[in-house]
Amino acid sequence: MTWWPFSKPKPDPQDFVKKYLERNKAQIPGIRTLDQLSFIVLDTETTGLDTKKDSVLSFGAVKIAQKRILINSAVEWYPEMFQALNQSPLIHGMVERSNQISTSTFVKRLLEYFSGDILVGHHLGFDLAMLQKLSAPFGLDQFKNPTLDTMSLAVRLDHGPTVNLNHVQVKNYSLDALCERHQIPLDDRHTAAGDAHLTALLLLKLLKIAAAKGIVSYAQLLR
Amino acid sequence: MPNVIVNRVAEFLKRYPPFSFLSNEELEKIASSVEINYLEKGETLFEQGDPPSPHFFILKEGEIHLSENQTTGEEIKEYLDEGDVFGVLALLGKRPYVLNAKISQNSLIYAIPVQVFEEILQSNTRVALYFAAGFASGQVVVRQDLSQGQKARGILKSKSRDNSLLIFSDQSEIRYSEKVLTCNESKTVQEAAQLMVDADVSSIIIVDQAYKPKGIITDKDLRTKVIACALPGNTPVAKVMTSPVITSKKDSGFSDLYLTMIKNRLHHLVLTEDGSDQSAICGIISDHDVLLSMGNSPAVLIHGLLNTLDVKEMRSIRDRAGQMLAYYLENEVSMDFVASVMTEINDLIIQQALKIAENTWAAHYPEVSSVRYCFLALGSEGREEQLLRTDQDNALVYEDVDESLKPVAAEYFLKLGTSVVETLLACGFESCPGEIMASNPKWVQPVSNWENYFSNWILTPTQNALLSASIFFDFRHIGGSSGLAEELSLFIYESVKKKPIFLNFLAQNTLATPPPLGFFKNFVVEKSGEHRDQFDIKARAIRPLVDLGRLLTLSHGVIGVNNTFKRFERLAELEPSYKELFGQAAKAFEILIRMRAIEGMKNGNDGRFIHPESLGKLQRQLLKNTFVPIAELQDIVKVRFQLDHFGK
Repeated sequence: MTWWPFSKPKPDPQDFVKKYLERNKAQIPGIRTLDQLSFIVLDTETTGLDTKKDSVLSFGAVKIAQKRILINSAVEWYPEMFQALNQSPLIHGMVERSNQISTSTFVKRLLEYFSGDILVGHHLGFDLAMLQKLSAPFGLDQFKNPTLDTMSLAVRLDHGPTVNLNHVQVKNYSLDALCERHQIPLDDRHTAAGDAHLTALLLLKLLKIAAAKGIVSYAQLLR
Repeated sequence: MPNVIVNRVAEFLKRYPPFSFLSNEELEKIASSVEINYLEKGETLFEQGDPPSPHFFILKEGEIHLSENQTTGEEIKEYLDEGDVFGVLALLGKRPYVLNAKISQNSLIYAIPVQVFEEILQSNTRVALYFAAGFASGQVVVRQDLSQGQKARGILKSKSRDNSLLIFSDQSEIRYSEKVLTCNESKTVQEAAQLMVDADVSSIIIVDQAYKPKGIITDKDLRTKVIACALPGNTPVAKVMTSPVITSKKDSGFSDLYLTMIKNRLHHLVLTEDGSDQSAICGIISDHDVLLSMGNSPAVLIHGLLNTLDVKEMRSIRDRAGQMLAYYLENEVSMDFVASVMTEINDLIIQQALKIAENTWAAHYPEVSSVRYCFLALGSEGREEQLLRTDQDNALVYEDVDESLKPVAAEYFLKLGTSVVETLLACGFESCPGEIMASNPKWVQPVSNWENYFSNWILTPTQNALLSASIFFDFRHIGGSSGLAEELSLFIYESVKKKPIFLNFLAQNTLATPPPLGFFKNFVVEKSGEHRDQFDIKARAIRPLVDLGRLLTLSHGVIGVNNTFKRFERLAELEPSYKELFGQAAKAFEILIRMRAIEGMKNGNDGRFIHPESLGKLQRQLLKNTFVPIAELQDIVKVRFQLDHFGK
């Protein structure tokens, strides 16, 4: 709706955004096997669940390549907060951390980190919406990486690809419930990096189950 | 920079050696280089012959088997559980894998890049020693060296070691005086006494022209041999001196010197250049020197025991010996020394108990009280291996008497034996559940009956007979006439020689307990009963070694070596081709009885049953390594005694 006079002018993409877009042009071939895929498993902690009003407190992520979680790729970042924080006192301790980084540094690092890999998260859409909001001022309207939601994957592995989500007991597919089911100890729950780590362990296990069910290629995984 | 994920990995690693020896900085570096791998049951991490991966591994959770391909199929060599480090050949030898790593329960595996670790291996000696001692699993090529293991356990135990008892290790030296008061044989006792007064010392050594020791006169000698006997002051020293002089080498280790003093009940030990009395004197140690250098010493306890026949006091001294033992064990004092000291104390208690018994009963049986007899310690005390006060096993043998005296002799010696057993009970030695004690008429017999017992066991080796043999074959003379015990020993070895097939039965018995290869999480634990989920260290590890040592020394016709440790040492001399294996067996035995004693001390019991999870990772690995020589010795016995063809 570019003709609409009151819409905010869309900022031009900055150089680092352009680079990111460039890197993500190439598509991953559909026949590539699961073993050969690289994933970035991420999680965010936010001030609330409203993607319009709330903002990102922390971001944690770790990469998986060749079926292995690479601990040296683990990151934990705290973007600076602008909005007044009149909400939860719980988050108070967090925002006082001294290791906050400016939004521009955060987005620069984020896009560099999001190389060409598949982004993974539990309820990934929410995390990406929050991150996208932070990135918008620098000219990014959408992340280009392929995405995989561990919750949808878990549902699909249990009920097949054609299941109607309305018929699924969603509470059985929370991160806690799935970790419990797959015997992953719930350490460091509710920190972004901790949850990213748990989700990464969950993904390793889900990929094994997927392979056993005949899901062996990239195309089959992301159908 | 703090990172929850790296911290999580580091926290896990920190709990297990060798990572537990890393500095925080090193640990963070390693943790952040970890790659986490998830494999499911049935998958294979690496296979025999595969080129080494640039990583080695630690099992985070799950279970993995290391197995070896053999013509008969795969043989499982190792069961890994949480915290086990494996695949280290890639780290140490850069050779292809020698085992298969098969996942038997879904497993999370941490892979650690060799490259990152190598730097640490260079700079951190504790980590290097950990690998050198063969603690990491799957090192079948690098022979598991138990002596390195033992050493490593001491060093790896904790950073701040209590050095207060390092005086017992052979490196340290005891303070002794180099100035020795001497005189030649031409002096009179009065002159010698004057010299002692002038020098303010309690002994004088009589030497020849070459300064070799001829004899010694102490304060006590002056008292007992001169004054009490009313000898004149001009009696020549040679008439009073104690000769020959017991000597030691000046640079012997402290434990050797001290042991010589304890064993010979010496207050003064003369040191010479070459250790014999045929070389010049170079120093003297008095028990005062020893007492100065330590607080609660065996000498003090032994001295106390020698001077009391009061059962309550004997008990309290034995309790103090227990405390001393705990201290020795914690400080890794050499097992040889510890066992010798404890045996000496236990023996002394038995000897004092015998004195009490004789004092009580001899007067009532004048017709038989001069008949020669011998009190025997059996089982672990017989082998000089009893550290804790476990069951008593003892017996009494006496000279054959005329038919007419038989009933009264039987009565008298049973009273003696019973009295000793009662005293030992009062001193805290438990009674034997099998009633193998000198209070049981069956085991208080004249020597001819004993010979019958042994003959029967050797001629008809039933299961019971073999069990008895294993207890009674380790007898040792404690009190009374040692001649009887020697006669009995000779009789036994002659009988065995005449009926060598007996050894095959005995050999078969040593295979009754196979080494615990079917581990449940590394250990065979008891499946039911009071000791469920505990590991029976006596039945599964100590007894097989004791039985093997006994069998092999017996088969060589060696008489008089009862101690398992010494038996393996002797075997190493007799069979140089197996020197290394026997050395390992001796080490394994030392580790096992130390572990049992420590466990018993900790729990206030006999230490026989161990909770595997209560042991540290290092101790568990050390324990596992001790099974290696047991298995190898059993293989040798199987071949040597042709047990594959031997009827059951």
